[in-house]
Amino acid sequence: MKRVIFVLVLYLIIVPIKWTTAHASGTEADFFKHADYAQNSRCLPAPVLAAAVPAAVDGESAAHAAVEADHGHGHANLGEVLPLWSCIPFVGMLLSIALFPLLAPEFWHHHFGKVSAFWAATLAVPFLAAFKGLALYEILHIILADYVPFIILLWSLYTVSGGILLRGTLRGTPILNTGILLIGTLLASWMGTTGAAMLLIRPFLRANAHRKNRTFMVVFFIFLVANVGGSLTPLGDPPLFLGFLHGVSFFWTLKILPHMLVVSILLLVIYFLLDTYHYRKEGVKAPDDGVKEPLKLVGTHNFIFLAGIVGSVLMSGIVDWGEVTTLGIHRALQDWVRDGLLIGMGILSMVTTSITIREGNDFTWFPILEVAYLFIGIFITMIPCLLILKAGPKGELAFLIQGVSRPVHYFWVTGALSAFLDNAPTYLTFFNTALGSFFAGMPEAEAVPLLMTEKAVYLQAISTGAVFFGAISYIGNAPNFMVRSIAEEAGTPMPSFFGYILRFSLLFLIPSFVIVTLLFF
Amino acid sequence: MRIEKVLFHTRFRDLAFNALEVLLELKKAGLQEVVLTYVIPREEVAFVPYGGYLKDAAEQMEEVARLRFEQWQEFISSKGLRSKVRIETGTLNAKILAVAEEEKVDLIVTGRKKRSAFEKVYVGSHVLDILRRSVRPVLMGKYMVQYEWAGEVLTRVNDHIFDRPLLATDWSKPSENALELIKSFKGLARKVLVVHNVGAKISKGLDVAALRALEDESQRRLDDYCGRIEEAGLSAESYLSVGKTTLEILRQSREQKATMIVMGRTGKDWFQEYWLGGVSHRVAEVSELPVLLVP
Repeated sequence: MKRVIFVLVLYLIIVPIKWTTAHASGTEADFFKHADYAQNSRCLPAPVLAAAVPAAVDGESAAHAAVEADHGHGHANLGEVLPLWSCIPFVGMLLSIALFPLLAPEFWHHHFGKVSAFWAATLAVPFLAAFKGLALYEILHIILADYVPFIILLWSLYTVSGGILLRGTLRGTPILNTGILLIGTLLASWMGTTGAAMLLIRPFLRANAHRKNRTFMVVFFIFLVANVGGSLTPLGDPPLFLGFLHGVSFFWTLKILPHMLVVSILLLVIYFLLDTYHYRKEGVKAPDDGVKEPLKLVGTHNFIFLAGIVGSVLMSGIVDWGEVTTLGIHRALQDWVRDGLLIGMGILSMVTTSITIREGNDFTWFPILEVAYLFIGIFITMIPCLLILKAGPKGELAFLIQGVSRPVHYFWVTGALSAFLDNAPTYLTFFNTALGSFFAGMPEAEAVPLLMTEKAVYLQAISTGAVFFGAISYIGNAPNFMVRSIAEEAGTPMPSFFGYILRFSLLFLIPSFVIVTLLFF
Repeated sequence: MRIEKVLFHTRFRDLAFNALEVLLELKKAGLQEVVLTYVIPREEVAFVPYGGYLKDAAEQMEEVARLRFEQWQEFISSKGLRSKVRIETGTLNAKILAVAEEEKVDLIVTGRKKRSAFEKVYVGSHVLDILRRSVRPVLMGKYMVQYEWAGEVLTRVNDHIFDRPLLATDWSKPSENALELIKSFKGLARKVLVVHNVGAKISKGLDVAALRALEDESQRRLDDYCGRIEEAGLSAESYLSVGKTTLEILRQSREQKATMIVMGRTGKDWFQEYWLGGVSHRVAEVSELPVLLVP
């Protein structure tokens, strides 16, 4: 362990030196790239930009850049100068998420925050040393404009849905189980995949406690409730909310309805057939212990707060109350108001919901804290990657942009990576790939509406790829591991990482996605 | 009201066994069975980010707890008492309360754990949360505590906690229940100290005559309490004070050399109860003595 820490510390020291050296002793062409960048940068507050311009750039250019800073949006040019290896921390962060839970779960469980901080520092320290104010701007921008609203939304959905509890006795039959999966799939887009999973997984497990084969039930629950069901609104699955934050309109995601219906119907039919087969084969009847508690949904006032969350997000996508500048970052006023309302909904839920209801849900803050710790690392480390992709053919990832050209490519490449990396950053990566590919250099505010209309099929491919393929493995989407953990704790044997993929994902999900490809892409 | 079955919750911290040893004195007052309880916090083994559940770690923690409890059970058995082990995984407070309900215990005993300022603001300490919610008497054990008095940091070992219990009463129903419970301490307590404080807010607007009348009435009630305790075969003394209730209870407990504080749980509305706590919770939080709260 000490050796690992030593190597990591060494790396942390070497990378900034290497980066700073590369920056300082770059070729003349590199230097002009920087100067050119300073001249063309936009959207930065004058003091930040002035600080960011390399000292060698003459005063006229700096002044020009500062003036430019007050106009327009978009700053794709940094992506043209960033080297490909600046994406190493992002890759390291995602590989940590993928490999540590498999190879060293206990270490990971107790130190994931430090790992996340390490990768964030690995990017932030050299990035700040090399690009100073510009780097600071990019870091603050991604924190304030992406990370903060992302975490606030997840927190509010998690808090509010954790206050709703389904009590009562359920007897797990194929019809009932399919019904629960259907309800969960429908709810997921409106209370988030995490919220819907949290509401239904324990009643689902309790209902089937007497059944012998429960593993496939939980796996299909992950497929449908924790992933596919969340594809219709930005509230459903984190990737779609990131899209919303970048300008994709709230109801645009309804365009995914046909894709979602195809996959959902296929999976529900397969599930029903499987469950019926096992139910008959098992021949197990629900134990009649004489205690039959009637079904009851408690904490239902939380649906009001849920509606408040939906309304707040919707509001922020409709109104335009101008911009406010915080720490040099321009953000729409309605976005701040939305975040405040979401926090308010969560607090109201906490204050008005009996603690016994939350305990009935085995509610704990731990999963949301985990997401907060991990995603600060993800968001910070992904900055160079996103900037390079935004630069389009002028960036170091031009090969990726050229290679991924058709909707089918976007669907499968976004999907394949979403399956093994978290799907939220993957979505953002390919969202930017599409922007860079079709609208290179164009400000995001102008490019995204075009992507939604003229290139809608590409955005559909990215969105469905990110959301659907999140179900392929335990690490594809955050709720997957939560459901797995709850099921295992309740005594349901769950397949290993590879067992899940080989026995279930390859068998049921991949053929469904092939059908989606044939029909839509 | 007798204490025959006790839930003893532990986190296996230092001196946990000593705290158990102290508790077994209750045998003289009718104790028959101890339910040794350990809760594996869900966060320790579940929700591994993108990983799931640490089944092996959970089993290992369970095994370690079981081994420790086996030694404790031998000791309990040597004292002529029965014991039972409950090892659960879940949310600490919810599990303790659920086990107490399932086992129908007469008393929950749990140690205290200091938490960060933020946690205290929202949830209070884990024990305070149990004190707030339990429908059964709860003893907040404090075997060894450090506390500040007159600018000095002192250490106190509470090893004969039932010797001089101080019953702080506000004449409420829970106080009556506390009195009934303390009556079962015959053979265990040498003297019961009965304290009532006329709160500063109540005495503030009163003239001398009205205050004197209030004092007389309070003294009469105190004497009644003492009489009922003496009828149960215990020795009792009464103390009346005027001032801020929490501070007065603490002062009396120190001056009269009390070994534990027994109180009825202060009734407050849910907001005060949850966010501010009542006198009983405040006393439980700040006193260096073990505090037994009776709902």
